[in-house]
Amino acid sequence: MHKRLLTIDDEESIQIVIKFGINMVAGWEVLSASGGRMGIDTAQRELPDAILLDVMMPEMDGLAFLRQLRSNPHTRLIPVVLLTANRYLPDKDLLTELGVVEVISKPFLPVNLVRQIDRALLN
Amino acid sequence: MTGKPSKPSSRKYKKDRTTEVKQTVLPLPKSERQRVELFAEISFKIRQSLQLKEILRTIVTEVQQVLQADRVLIYQVLADGTGTPISESVLPAYPAILGMEFPEEVFPTEYQQLYAKGRVRSVADVRDPSAEVADCLLEFVEQFGVKAKLIVPILHSLSVHPPRKSPPKNAIWGLLIAHQCDRPRKWAEFELELMQQLADQISIALAQGELWGQLEEVVAERTAELQAANSSLQQEIIDRKQVEIALRQSEEQLRLITNALPVLIAYVDDRECYQFNNQAYTDWLGKSLTAIHGSSMREVWGEDCYPRMQPHINNALAGNIVTYENEIQLHDGTTRSVSINYIPHIDNDDRISGFFALTSDISDRKAIERMKDEFISVVSHELRTPLTSLHSALKILVTGRLGVLTKDGQQFLEIADENTERLVRLVNSVLDLQRIESGAVTMEKQACTATELMIQAVDTMQAMAQQQEITLVNQPLDIQLWVDADYIVQALTNLISNAIKFSSPGGNVWLIVQRPEQPPTPPPNGRKSTKSKASKVSKSPSLPIEILFQVRDEGQGIPANKLETIFERFQQVDSSDSRKKGGTGLGLTICRKIIEQHGGKIWVDSTLGVGSTFSFTLPVIDN
Repeated sequence: MHKRLLTIDDEESIQIVIKFGINMVAGWEVLSASGGRMGIDTAQRELPDAILLDVMMPEMDGLAFLRQLRSNPHTRLIPVVLLTANRYLPDKDLLTELGVVEVISKPFLPVNLVRQIDRALLN
Repeated sequence: MTGKPSKPSSRKYKKDRTTEVKQTVLPLPKSERQRVELFAEISFKIRQSLQLKEILRTIVTEVQQVLQADRVLIYQVLADGTGTPISESVLPAYPAILGMEFPEEVFPTEYQQLYAKGRVRSVADVRDPSAEVADCLLEFVEQFGVKAKLIVPILHSLSVHPPRKSPPKNAIWGLLIAHQCDRPRKWAEFELELMQQLADQISIALAQGELWGQLEEVVAERTAELQAANSSLQQEIIDRKQVEIALRQSEEQLRLITNALPVLIAYVDDRECYQFNNQAYTDWLGKSLTAIHGSSMREVWGEDCYPRMQPHINNALAGNIVTYENEIQLHDGTTRSVSINYIPHIDNDDRISGFFALTSDISDRKAIERMKDEFISVVSHELRTPLTSLHSALKILVTGRLGVLTKDGQQFLEIADENTERLVRLVNSVLDLQRIESGAVTMEKQACTATELMIQAVDTMQAMAQQQEITLVNQPLDIQLWVDADYIVQALTNLISNAIKFSSPGGNVWLIVQRPEQPPTPPPNGRKSTKSKASKVSKSPSLPIEILFQVRDEGQGIPANKLETIFERFQQVDSSDSRKKGGTGLGLTICRKIIEQHGGKIWVDSTLGVGSTFSFTLPVIDN
């Protein structure tokens, strides 16, 4: 099923490989944002099916983004998949409460990424 | 005065032969009362001394004066029948015979026997035939000018206390003799009586002297014993003093050493009270040594810190060596990380009478560990981000969707891809290990079955096994476990991955689980294997019930000298394995950490050319 995803990451190279890989493997549409604030704007405007969110970002980190996303009734139900290079993560319960459906560690393979997102969204 | 007696020079027997016997004109005591008084007076003088020699001298002097005799002597009869005058009082006009030795003939045995029966001999004139003085004896006594003599025996006293060890052979000890040399003399009854009484006094003195001698002997014996005991006591006192000095020196040295060390050193008794503490206690806690001595640990450490110590204290007082880490606050308000060791003290009665406590400051080490953890975390994050781009980009390129490369180009791309994957695994392993070791990871345990974990692990590794043409043989059992499923699956996949890497194509890898009561399955082909000692599991019945997992392969095996170190980081059988097999050298270390965090043990049995079996235990849920 065709999906529209929003990827939020301050690393442009990551954005490129995610966008290309997912598009190549699954044919899904991938929107990109280079930071939390831009991500909030894009999410409110585009209402994607899911958001792929980097945790460690300047200005607004992943958790701050999530709190803001959940505070907006339009975006609060959008499922979020965390992409993180750091395994030091907040408590699982907190992540669940903030609507995180899956945590994927970097580095990842585009093929696996599609499978993991698909499974998380189905759940 | 030994040897032959010399003849008196001025008196000749013939000259005196004509001398008549006449009564003495001495003022002798007339009444009985006077006699008693005289005797009492002499007795009193005698008793002034306990020395026999002095007593005898007193007697001869007194008798000589009272009787107005020319010579009075005490003649001691020796055991062989000879004799010698041992005390004498003689007028200067007559020769002294003191000390002369007289032969047996002078005092023959028959005379001795008569005297022994109490005979008293009073001779008024030695030349008077009625006196019955033998001619030879007459000649002999006249050598010393004797004209009249009075002889009374001195007998051994019969009542001696304590009794003699051996009674005297001869009843007669000696003779008390008075000589009149200037004329014959008829001895008065009183004089005879006096002599007899004095002889008795001498007997008593002899007995007393004997007793005195015995007493002195006993006293000397006792004195010697006392001196020996005293000497022994003196030596003991000296020894004890030396031991005390040595102990004081030893204590002083111990105190100097312990005070010089930058660690807390203490001895705590079984009431948790300090009985010894070094200077560092004062430096750290700001309390004097005397204030700490005798205080309880609760008082010294306070209600904030003591509760964290209490279980460890109880453990030490139960006889266990305890090591733990704690945070303590110093008197200046700073907090220190410390490593604490308690070593139980078992006394001679096998009783735990306390424990030695060593506390060392590990704040610097902890700070370095935190810096290391932070460094690894940052570095791994900084590595992961570019690796993600690199890895993903290479994967996309490998698909060929962006164009077909030449054969060489494709080969280089595959090299880049494989090594990127290896780098990814290495970074992941380093971060995993660092997180487990730093304690950042808490095992989130939950109920699950062995079957679930084994199926998940085999599913994960199936693709790799197929690629290597290895058959995975899974033999699961539905046993309930209380574990962090993700980490146990990680451990299982690590072990399966190793087994696949080191197996030849066409081989089998078994994943087995056994209930505690089942004996372990023998290694492949039933051959004896070498076991890693470091991780050997005790099957003591007191241990909690455990389940045994095994991953067994038919690979090349592990040499015995590598079994000890195989679970250490970056330790591989062949240093080129990490390149050839794509391993990181951290997989088994991570496995061990995961299993240990679950309270289990891990070890390996292996036989070169036959295969290896990696085993680990996990606690089973207690129904």
